[in-house]
Amino acid sequence: MPFFRKKPSFEGGGLVLFMDVHDAMAAEKVLKAADYAVKLVAPPPELRRGCDLALEINLVEQPGIERLLKEKETGYVSVLPMKPGTSGLLEIVKITDFGDWIMVKAANMKLSFEKKSGIIVNTSGGGCPDIPYLHAEMIGKRLDEAPRPRDLGFTLCALMLDRALEESLTLWRGGSKV
Amino acid sequence: MMLIVGTVPIKDLPLTIGKASAEGDYLVVNGHRIPCTQGTAAMITAALVTTEYLKLESPQVLVVGDTGQGKGSREMYEYLIQNVAKLSPEVLALHYCLPDMALSRRLCEAVKGCPKRPIMIADAASMYAAKAAGLATSFDIFTPDATEMAFLADPDATHPAYIAKHLFDTDVTQTPRLVAAAYQKKNAAKLLLVKGATDYVVRNGEILATISEPNVPALEPIGGTGDTITGLLSAFVYASMEPHEAAIVAARANRMAGKLAQATPATRVRQIIDQFPAVFKQYLCQWSEVCIKP
Repeated sequence: MPFFRKKPSFEGGGLVLFMDVHDAMAAEKVLKAADYAVKLVAPPPELRRGCDLALEINLVEQPGIERLLKEKETGYVSVLPMKPGTSGLLEIVKITDFGDWIMVKAANMKLSFEKKSGIIVNTSGGGCPDIPYLHAEMIGKRLDEAPRPRDLGFTLCALMLDRALEESLTLWRGGSKV
Repeated sequence: MMLIVGTVPIKDLPLTIGKASAEGDYLVVNGHRIPCTQGTAAMITAALVTTEYLKLESPQVLVVGDTGQGKGSREMYEYLIQNVAKLSPEVLALHYCLPDMALSRRLCEAVKGCPKRPIMIADAASMYAAKAAGLATSFDIFTPDATEMAFLADPDATHPAYIAKHLFDTDVTQTPRLVAAAYQKKNAAKLLLVKGATDYVVRNGEILATISEPNVPALEPIGGTGDTITGLLSAFVYASMEPHEAAIVAARANRMAGKLAQATPATRVRQIIDQFPAVFKQYLCQWSEVCIKP
């Protein structure tokens, strides 16, 4: 009996929507060349925005995928969770005053800085592989000189850390008044 | 054997399996030096310090370099899927990785091939993948923080960045409500240790204990202090403590280490880990039935 290796399955949880089929095909090529796992699928009618072809992606990789598509000038309409009823990306942040330091929390990510100097003293939370890397790259740097997680990171955890950095910059430039 | 699995932020570190040892501020695995910072390294170091104190076998670890692009994570999952039955760990603790629902599903299937089912622990993105794929009930222990608890309570979210605003907006007093919602939708492991201003230990939906002392708010901003709790808990479970007892002792020990380190938001996780032996010496026998003679 012949032996067939089972093709690895893919459950991404995210969809990239396109205006036309040409863009969808081009995006698949760009993303596959960069080693992203993607699959051309028909979007459910309630999510359809342009053409009837979409790319299923691992939703966690949304920031890295959007950055690459923009770099390669590959048109797309939007990236959405596949599961109906999912909320939009969290926009709100929470702020905690620790006296000499402030902690800003965006979803599962937290960034803490010294009020006086604006030096990032810690980042915490998250669970994606770019987070410990960003932790090492950002700590000890001033908020306005630190690398942006949206530029170095690839995942939704990194995107949330970027939100925390953005809010921290606003607070620090405004005198860290909370 | 206890097996800890996760990615570390060293781009060119190949897939590496071996016993963990410590060398100054570094972990050493098969000659590879890994800095003890936030993430899998902090978790392994906490587990290692604990097993050394308890005079147990050091953790076996499976680590790989990955800075976010996922290649290392996929190699790690594939290796584990192929080899978990042969390795047959008593405790399997899964940590940082690029969450992948399909690979997580295949791993849970592969674990069924172990001669004896390991105690399955997940934190960080391994927990995200398990929940997103509907596999939470295949796990024995999850260790979410407050936001991750809201993620487990949201039936639709596949990552904490997509949780409903009203769930993110809740304070610590709402944890019991989130816990109930997570269990109702089968999005929780058998045991939860919810890390926060008050830690909750929950078994099958029942809150068994809360821990709020010593109160060290500065632990939350320190990167890696959630990872150390998971490392402590894994090691205590490996030492044959009941999972709920291990969770209580881990939460207490982490808080006490923060107090002894006089933690501030600028403290590094290594400074917290350095306090564990003193905490164990002073409190472990009092908090549990684990008493080590010097």
